[in-house]
Amino acid sequence: MSDFDLALWSFPVLLLLIFLRFPIALAMLLVGFFGTWMVTGSPMMMLAQLKSLTYSTFSQYSFSIIPLFLLMGQFATLSGMSASLFRAAEGFLGHRKGGMAMSAIGACAGFGAICGSSLATAATMGQVALPELRRYGYPNTLATGALAAGGTLGILIPPSVILVIYAILAEQNIAKLFVAAIGPGILAALGYMIAVAVWVRVSPNSAALAPRVPWGERLKMLAGIWPVLVIFVAVVGGIYLGIFTPTEAAAVGAAGTGVAALFSGQMSWKTFSQSVYSTAASTAMIFMIVLGAGIYNSFLALTQLPQETAAWVSMQDLSPWIVLAVVLVMYLAFGCIMDSLSMVLVTVPIIYPIMITLDFGMSFDDFGLWFGVLVLIVVEVGLITPPVGMNLFIINNMARDVPISETFRGALPFVLTDIVRVVILTLFPALTLGLVWAIY
Amino acid sequence: QDVTLRLHQFLPPQAPLPAHVIKPWAESIEEASDGRIEIQHFDAMALGGTPPSLMDQARDGVVDISMTLTGYTPGRFPRSEVFELPFMMTSPVATSLAFWDLVESDLQESEFKDVHVLGAWVHGPGLVHSRDGVTSLEDMQGLKLRGPTRVINDLLAELGATPVGMPLPGIPEALSTGVIDATVIPWEVTPSIRLAELLDNHTEFGGDRALYTAAIVMVMNKRSYDNLPDDLKAIIDEQSGAKLSQLAAEVMWEYDAPGRKIAEDAGNTIVTLDEAEVARWQQAALPVVDRWVAEMDGKGIDGMALIDQAQGLIKKNETE
Amino acid sequence: MYALLSRLAELIARGMALLGGLALVALVVMTCVSITGRALIPVGLQPVKGDFELISIGMGFAVFAFLPWGLYARAHATVDLFLTRFPARVNRVIDLLSDLAFLGVAVVMAWRLWLGMLDKKSYYETTLILQFDMWQAYALALVGAVAFALVAAFCVLRSARALAGYAEEAGHV
Ligand code: NA
Ligand code: NA
Repeated sequence: MSDFDLALWSFPVLLLLIFLRFPIALAMLLVGFFGTWMVTGSPMMMLAQLKSLTYSTFSQYSFSIIPLFLLMGQFATLSGMSASLFRAAEGFLGHRKGGMAMSAIGACAGFGAICGSSLATAATMGQVALPELRRYGYPNTLATGALAAGGTLGILIPPSVILVIYAILAEQNIAKLFVAAIGPGILAALGYMIAVAVWVRVSPNSAALAPRVPWGERLKMLAGIWPVLVIFVAVVGGIYLGIFTPTEAAAVGAAGTGVAALFSGQMSWKTFSQSVYSTAASTAMIFMIVLGAGIYNSFLALTQLPQETAAWVSMQDLSPWIVLAVVLVMYLAFGCIMDSLSMVLVTVPIIYPIMITLDFGMSFDDFGLWFGVLVLIVVEVGLITPPVGMNLFIINNMARDVPISETFRGALPFVLTDIVRVVILTLFPALTLGLVWAIY
Repeated sequence: QDVTLRLHQFLPPQAPLPAHVIKPWAESIEEASDGRIEIQHFDAMALGGTPPSLMDQARDGVVDISMTLTGYTPGRFPRSEVFELPFMMTSPVATSLAFWDLVESDLQESEFKDVHVLGAWVHGPGLVHSRDGVTSLEDMQGLKLRGPTRVINDLLAELGATPVGMPLPGIPEALSTGVIDATVIPWEVTPSIRLAELLDNHTEFGGDRALYTAAIVMVMNKRSYDNLPDDLKAIIDEQSGAKLSQLAAEVMWEYDAPGRKIAEDAGNTIVTLDEAEVARWQQAALPVVDRWVAEMDGKGIDGMALIDQAQGLIKKNETE
Repeated sequence: MYALLSRLAELIARGMALLGGLALVALVVMTCVSITGRALIPVGLQPVKGDFELISIGMGFAVFAFLPWGLYARAHATVDLFLTRFPARVNRVIDLLSDLAFLGVAVVMAWRLWLGMLDKKSYYETTLILQFDMWQAYALALVGAVAFALVAAFCVLRSARALAGYAEEAGHV
């Protein structure tokens, strides 16, 4: 078997292990390790590499942003800001038809501005908003679907752990990527609200309306969420206003949400340690995948498969738009069963070098930002598509009397708006890049 | 073909060193061996790990050949640091040949004893690139700078600046976010990080001595080399050593010009400090050299003698 | 006996995670101090010397320290498409196999990290600015790697017992 065949065969083996429910990190690590062994004829190459590879991977400065953003999300959860966000959104939207569901989405968007993770956003906002939605008589489908979808705003609106990982893998400027994602993130929140508005009109229901809140009251509620604004401006603003690096911004964000949690009275040794355990679990998961993907990708590089594939693709004279469409659809399909973080970690090092050989009539930098935002959206859809959608599980778990099938159905209209948004952003790159051009 | 050698390095394939030194060098070996040697290129850390691990990758046989900066592993190659001392370098080519001479006579048996050194060279004159301009020693005060090597960071601190340690790819982001105000690198590297777009001022040093340079080596796994039949060894020897080191130094120096041209075309200010001003810098750098000598003494190395030896070798190669 | 081991493994996993968490908090504080110092250079303050290196060293320690808890809490991402479709016994076998593989990975990781540390020590490698000994940074990481291997050994036992039909312990996450 040639090295090239070996690399080709590694894909089905990897997929088999993953579908057998082996942890994704472990599957890649093992296939990469034994693949390298087969190419070089001895385990020594990999073993020698491992003397410094684990330490240099885990201590890489650019990756240290990830645990810090995770910790920031945990502290934001403790800070009680989710409740004030929901109150403020309710004050503005609650009296409309479907207003409480829209408020939940608006509050998710606000929470997303200080939290870099979808799961944390879904879990936190679900706890606050789900009981309210049900109290007001929203159907289970809409209530759970809206919150699961709203949770994805945690990642779609910067700061965002997935964007950070994409930026590192594709060597993109994190600050510009965050700026590029702001417009599409707001579009996502609007799209979800429109989905709610259409839903409550197409399928009438008995959900009650909240009383109209006078403007004075509304402004007071808005004033109650100032810590969110301060932290968002400090973190995302601080990065491109020239005060600190993204990693430092994550540290500032963790400090800010930590202080907010302290002042809210929610920070105790017990809640602090729970925040640390959650951070530890997610960090361990992500870094093991980073390590596994690194070992698997170096095995592929050794066989020269990526170089030859990229050369082959550029010789085929394919329409770049068709290739892009195929890639995006593939992400959507894999997203049904795979976790979004792992998908980015596994695929971007392989797919991105191929994509940049295609000509979309824009500069390398612009392409990197635009493609990153598109990938971000298609992998995030995976969180709310059956059969495996983490946000659906988290929200459904909070409403134990609701069958999962109802949550699945509730999420579908939101998935539809996601797909419409991907098409729009693909056809009009300026929607993503405009703000970047304006600022830089 | 008889042997396949894997060559791993950290620069992207289109950079001057891979494109105009490493690949032509590999081709000349492949040709001279009638295809019995094949060299596979893995650019931009494709085989994994970080640039500081390249030396160990060659030593341990993870790859057969690697290229790296000795400064990536501070403390490990103290003797090579002699060429990185402030105002040590005159002509980059003569300095590279002196470095190679020292490798052949001493360093191969001392700090490079675990690998087979194929080439040893230095890059073109390093200079200061800054946002607000550096026209005198005093402008260094309070400046946040990214420095490439241990000795240069010590120098920057000595001059009153705040050295920030970060990898080369981090420079654009750090500059655009104000984490650093300036950086020292040679012209040749500036296009790859689009430095001329990020700041407006460049400070060159007049006279015949450069502010600093950095030592670069290409090394081969000892066993991979020893296992070669004698005729293939001879082919590699023929293309390497002083020949490779000279070519690398010439190419790197030559590619300073396009980097400088980009800055000129961008309308940036390029000032050249006159010899009187440079003399002040040299004076200010003396404590750094003294500290280095004391440190070498602590490691059982006669630092003063090494400096004399290095200067002698540079002079010798200049006149040749 | 198993209950004792289980408590011990949990103690190690939680203890290391908390140590890593405290390191993370320390880095957050250090970074805030450093940013302040950098912003106030004009009035004579200084950023923390070698702040980037400190983050790198501290984060290396924290990530290794988080590994035991990640495994103990079964935090690693899997594709659960067939989870409910496989018979329970098949799932138990897969759990055991993947925990065995993790044990192998953890042992190799700790062993190689140990050798890497000896390399750094024998070459006197340091960091760029602080000239902090690299072998000490590796030693910090090694603490987490060894704990990871110990907890991985317990996880194999845990899966083996589950396969043999023992009920899971109350403390199980
Ligand atoms: Na976010
Ligand atoms: Na899914």
